[in-house]
Amino acid sequence: MNTNPVFGQYYHADSWLHRLDPRTKILGTIIIIISLFLLNNLAVIVGAFGATLVLILSSKIPFTKFLRSLKMMTTLLLITVVFQLFFNRGKILAEFDFTLTTVNLAIGIAILVLFFFSRKIITKHRFFLFLALLVFCFYLQTVVKSGKALANYSLAIYEEGLYTSLKVVLRIITLLLISSLLTLTTKPADINTGMERLAKPLKYIGVKVSILSMMISIALRFIPTLINEAGRILKAQASRGVDFKEGKFMQKVTQIISLLVPMFVISYRRAYELADAMEARGYVPDAERTSISLLKYRARDYLTLLFVILLFSAIIALKVSDYAI
Amino acid sequence: MGINFSEVNFSYQKPKRRRAVVQTLHGINLRIDDKGEFIAIVGHTGSGKSTLVQMMNALLLPLSGRLEIFGTEIKKKTVLKPIRKRVGLVFQFPEYQIFEETVLKDIAFGPKNFGLPDPEGRAREVAEIMGITDLLERSPFTLSGGQLRKVAICGILASNPEILILDEPTVGLDPFTKSELLELLKKLNREYEKSIIIITHDMDVVSEYAQRVIVLKEGGIVYDGDKKTLFKKEHLLEEYDLDYPETMRILKALKERFQADIDINQHSIEATYQEILKAFGEEDEH
Repeated sequence: MNTNPVFGQYYHADSWLHRLDPRTKILGTIIIIISLFLLNNLAVIVGAFGATLVLILSSKIPFTKFLRSLKMMTTLLLITVVFQLFFNRGKILAEFDFTLTTVNLAIGIAILVLFFFSRKIITKHRFFLFLALLVFCFYLQTVVKSGKALANYSLAIYEEGLYTSLKVVLRIITLLLISSLLTLTTKPADINTGMERLAKPLKYIGVKVSILSMMISIALRFIPTLINEAGRILKAQASRGVDFKEGKFMQKVTQIISLLVPMFVISYRRAYELADAMEARGYVPDAERTSISLLKYRARDYLTLLFVILLFSAIIALKVSDYAI
Repeated sequence: MGINFSEVNFSYQKPKRRRAVVQTLHGINLRIDDKGEFIAIVGHTGSGKSTLVQMMNALLLPLSGRLEIFGTEIKKKTVLKPIRKRVGLVFQFPEYQIFEETVLKDIAFGPKNFGLPDPEGRAREVAEIMGITDLLERSPFTLSGGQLRKVAICGILASNPEILILDEPTVGLDPFTKSELLELLKKLNREYEKSIIIITHDMDVVSEYAQRVIVLKEGGIVYDGDKKTLFKKEHLLEEYDLDYPETMRILKALKERFQADIDINQHSIEATYQEILKAFGEEDEH
């Protein structure tokens, strides 16, 4: 039961992707993401998207799990589509003439006002309702021509724009799916171990990789704990009459202080306690540490990595020799 | 007046259209008077005790059913501040909620939020009752755990609530501070006629201080009544996951060992002593 987006992503299933070494998956994901940005041909991008779907099928994870990460990006995707659609010049696909008249301006304002006051009646999917109403307002301007015309303008959709927006959207979706694939098939702890191993060469330039990775894993571990603590403090202060929703600026400041000071105190206490507990169990920061989850490179890891690298080299080679991919 | 639960259900999950949700509390019917009650809420870990008291402070809203606090029904849009002023809730480990630079300021924080006149005067008053006037000018971060606990309780008392709820107030305190704190609660109950509700796992506390006991099990109230009737039952552990208090266990052991005529249902050390005297008479004096 974790609602935190950083956690609870891992979905247990028994697939070859779950069995792969985290290092392979991290490296593979990075290389695939770079390759995606190199691609610039719609057909090839569609192919990459299809390949990703096949990967998702082979991971035995229900597709709805992936939809969650896509859902968060809906707004961004929509904005991208709109911009790309209208701001790329080229061959015209369709053109719309709009006439802003007094009548449809009045209707438009009425709709927006109604939308504003429907806040209490319609509570769900307001964003999509708003979009639909906005589109309707523009549609009105093409149909209703009565009343005094205030302005005439036209918008055109160009072929080029349609292609670019499709490319951009598909690329972003594929990218999100691939990175979700990594976090869904790999436990956070494994990702951390994998990162640590991959970053090991950095120790030759003086970076203390094991300490860094310990810090990251502790920080991640304590996010949900601290969220719980914050919830408790919020409630405790609420029963002392703090109303976090109301108040003037100065009251707001006191309210935030009444949350922040206890949070700092608790974090410090926890940090000291944890440090003591770690030392009591023999943790020495600079000592060579063994890991409970030993990573072992197997044939499937070599094969996967080899395949990804070959794919990447092929893309580079084709790019260099001026193929439109 | 006071607090009224009728058929209240509660869940930490959001209501779902098709599937049933896990209900942390179900079918709660409860009346709590705003004068002179001393109630102990007991039950196994996870039985819903903390959830129940948070509802009494309107920190959690019922999923269904009717919850009235001082005649106001608690709904989503109810203005909660005046209710929280009249029902004070001291959380478990309340020392974490302290944040001001001095003890005095921290105690005055509650009354200031509720817009009561002369918050610092009130703070001094309750500090007097709790016997911590010598700490008022100190920084809370230099105090010991027991002192902090008292400061935190003062912070709630300063708003002069009619009902005072404490979630496991004696956990982690040494025996001396513990009994001191409980005696203070008793004093508030007797002299100031405040209703006191405590959550506890300590049957000795229940036995010695509470008048009324509410037993929760798996999110429902399985017993609500006076403590003598509760402790008269034979199978407390099996039925309610509860133990008998120390006084009763001693008397029971004596009764079985000596086949003596003892009424084991005694709840203060004094009453237990008298009962032993009655049973064994002169012999015990030597």
